[in-house]
Amino acid sequence: MVKQEILLGNGAIALGLLEAGCQVVTSYPGTPSSEILPEVVRLMKSANLDTYVEWSTNEKVALDNAFAASITGKRAACCMKQVGLNVAADSLMSAAYLGTVGGLVIISCDDPGPHSSQTEQDTRFMARLAKVPVLDPSDPQEAREMVGLAMDISEEFKIPVILRPAIRVSHARQNISFGPIKKNDQKASFEKNPQRWAATPRFRLVLHGELNKKLKEIGKKFEDLSKYNFHNLESGKKYLLGIIAGGIPYSVVRDFLSEEHRTDIPVLKIATPYPFPESLAAEFMSACERVLVIEETDTFIEYLLRDREKVMGRLSGHVPSEGELVPHVIHKLINHVLEELNLEPFQADDDHEVVQLVKDLQLPVRRPTLCPGCPERAAFFAIRKTRPKAIFTSDIGCYTLGLNLGAVDTVLDMGAAITMASGFYHSFAQDAVEQPIVATIGDSTFFHSGTTGLLNAVYNGARFILVILDNLTTAMTGMQPTPELGIRADGSEGKAIPLERIVAGCGVDFIEVVDPYNIKKTISLLKKAIKYVKDPNGGMAVIIARHPCVIAYPDKAIPEKKKVTITDDCTECNICLERFECPALYHDTELGRVNINREICVDCGVCIQVCPKGAIVEI
Amino acid sequence: METINIILSGLGGQGILFMTRVLAQAALDKGFNVMGAETHGMAQRGGSVVSHLRLGEVKNSLVRTGTAHFLLSLEENEGYRNLPFLSQGARMYVNTNSRHFPREEAKELMDKRKIIYRSIHAGTIAQESGAPRSSNLALLGYFSAFDEGPIGYKDIKTTIDTISPKKFKDINLKIFEAGYRRGKNF
Repeated sequence: MVKQEILLGNGAIALGLLEAGCQVVTSYPGTPSSEILPEVVRLMKSANLDTYVEWSTNEKVALDNAFAASITGKRAACCMKQVGLNVAADSLMSAAYLGTVGGLVIISCDDPGPHSSQTEQDTRFMARLAKVPVLDPSDPQEAREMVGLAMDISEEFKIPVILRPAIRVSHARQNISFGPIKKNDQKASFEKNPQRWAATPRFRLVLHGELNKKLKEIGKKFEDLSKYNFHNLESGKKYLLGIIAGGIPYSVVRDFLSEEHRTDIPVLKIATPYPFPESLAAEFMSACERVLVIEETDTFIEYLLRDREKVMGRLSGHVPSEGELVPHVIHKLINHVLEELNLEPFQADDDHEVVQLVKDLQLPVRRPTLCPGCPERAAFFAIRKTRPKAIFTSDIGCYTLGLNLGAVDTVLDMGAAITMASGFYHSFAQDAVEQPIVATIGDSTFFHSGTTGLLNAVYNGARFILVILDNLTTAMTGMQPTPELGIRADGSEGKAIPLERIVAGCGVDFIEVVDPYNIKKTISLLKKAIKYVKDPNGGMAVIIARHPCVIAYPDKAIPEKKKVTITDDCTECNICLERFECPALYHDTELGRVNINREICVDCGVCIQVCPKGAIVEI
Repeated sequence: METINIILSGLGGQGILFMTRVLAQAALDKGFNVMGAETHGMAQRGGSVVSHLRLGEVKNSLVRTGTAHFLLSLEENEGYRNLPFLSQGARMYVNTNSRHFPREEAKELMDKRKIIYRSIHAGTIAQESGAPRSSNLALLGYFSAFDEGPIGYKDIKTTIDTISPKKFKDINLKIFEAGYRRGKNF
């Protein structure tokens, strides 16, 4: 029985994993990869499969777990965002040498733009660095198929394989047909072989040699992988311009050329950037006078082309070196190249006037902001009010948006709220300067990378206040559970691990829990923490600001609705707009005071505590 | 058959993903090939959000500027922001309470590009129906009343009925109907 569903690209990948008989899937959520595991759960439940799934505490943990599954002979996968692969890099580099038994596929989703990441890094380079093959799908359907291909290659050549979907694959939606999914009954077995699985440097050299041999063989296979690597040259014909593209840019270019009925520009599609199908590329280049390379996000293919004087791309300035290659950008850059080569251009866009109009309208810049009712806003308000002169180190999650409230000064990487705070502390302490520092980190980020930094801070005698913003979920990426909840990826019960115990285990003696909705109490606890941090007998102070996320738990977050209104006592001091910045509060020019947008207000009533004039009151 | 390109815009939290899902499913049920692009992650937190929906034989999920046939915007400024996507003669449906829609500065160019624009107080309709955060359904109802798109009132209504969570089904249909009636009264 075949059915058709409109799947998210990440859903198509999940489907591909199950169709490929993947028995173990691990992941740490991160945009644009977060929906893969939930889709695996949904599909495996509807197909009655017993796939083992887990939200791991971080990407390295996820990859180690999946790797172990693979060397028991099972098919395993591990899903993450591109910067998550940095965290898992230690595992990846070594796993490439050791090799696999059952198929092992690592899905690392890239974010050109970047839309929701700290860098625009290109996973294909990580694959090259680790010496593992990488596949680059150009739409959800292809991503689904390539998961199976990756699994087969991994198992045939005993090597981990990376699938690199870009955000427009992961977050595209496409109608996909699929039939029943068969269960894979492969049983776990582990054959001891310490020379391989616990290889010392002497054996690593041997393994490196084996890895190089595998890559050569895979390279040959990729030359003939005509379903995914192909061109449309007519034999014997010469062309003035050819385009080499992979991933999403291939889809965009393909659509343009067919809309414009252009047969004078051949295209080479590269779906396996590494190992690179060199002969195929050489054949294509020899038929073209010039070649334009359009790829996301970096210059991976461009670097690998030998006949350099033919190549147009980022290095020659024909393709932008940063930002997403959205269709109109690709359209414009191809047109420039066509004009430069005196070829017939595409139908030009007449969008100058309308682009100018949008500029002239001076539309408000919509920066992302914490949701109405978000408990993190209340915590930031209290922190900023109590310690306005502090350095505010923060971290990755919704609460990065605390920067709108003037309560976030630094964001480096997962866990750096704590490690940078200790770094700041020691730098100032060296000069005998008592610099106040308040670090903020989310619950999931703390589980991911917080403990090692906290241990380090306590051990090395750093003094600062750490506020763990505990909203009982991984909010930014779509409400995945954290270890604190005791709910596992498939919805089953797990062991709940309270943050307090971990913090105490890190050697912290000052641990307080507060509901940040109570701003007064939060402020008084912060004051107590300040004293403790300064006290010669004190140390690190940790406050857990715990209140359920208003999106994940709307009822629990606001058990008693408080409908508020604004009285004429409002003096337009704008403290509520600038220091609290609830999107439901806005300046009403007609009324000459602040007003409430009922369409988005969630009646949390927290703003009552914020107005210095008492002009925000409950109705 | 020519590809139909639709842009849906608004602010994070206004329910653009649900609106996109409804149209995509309704189109699929009518036999279209569906390709779409969504916004997830950081941008969903109150920022500008855009969904792309393409019906036809296409490989790429993003609409190119100047080629969209329809724009449904849950917020007026976000509607203007996405004007560059619209093709000549495109149709635009906007949720706004302003009595001065479209803004004078925009009107001339929109008329020149033969863009047909319509506005509805979808937010007010949703609020009156008791679900102030469901203006997305009122706008869908309004859109369906003009029957200018490839998917009509009945298709969309059936889809809302099928894919709404049980708890919200009745209220979703009620607000959709209210939007539809507002469109029909014109």
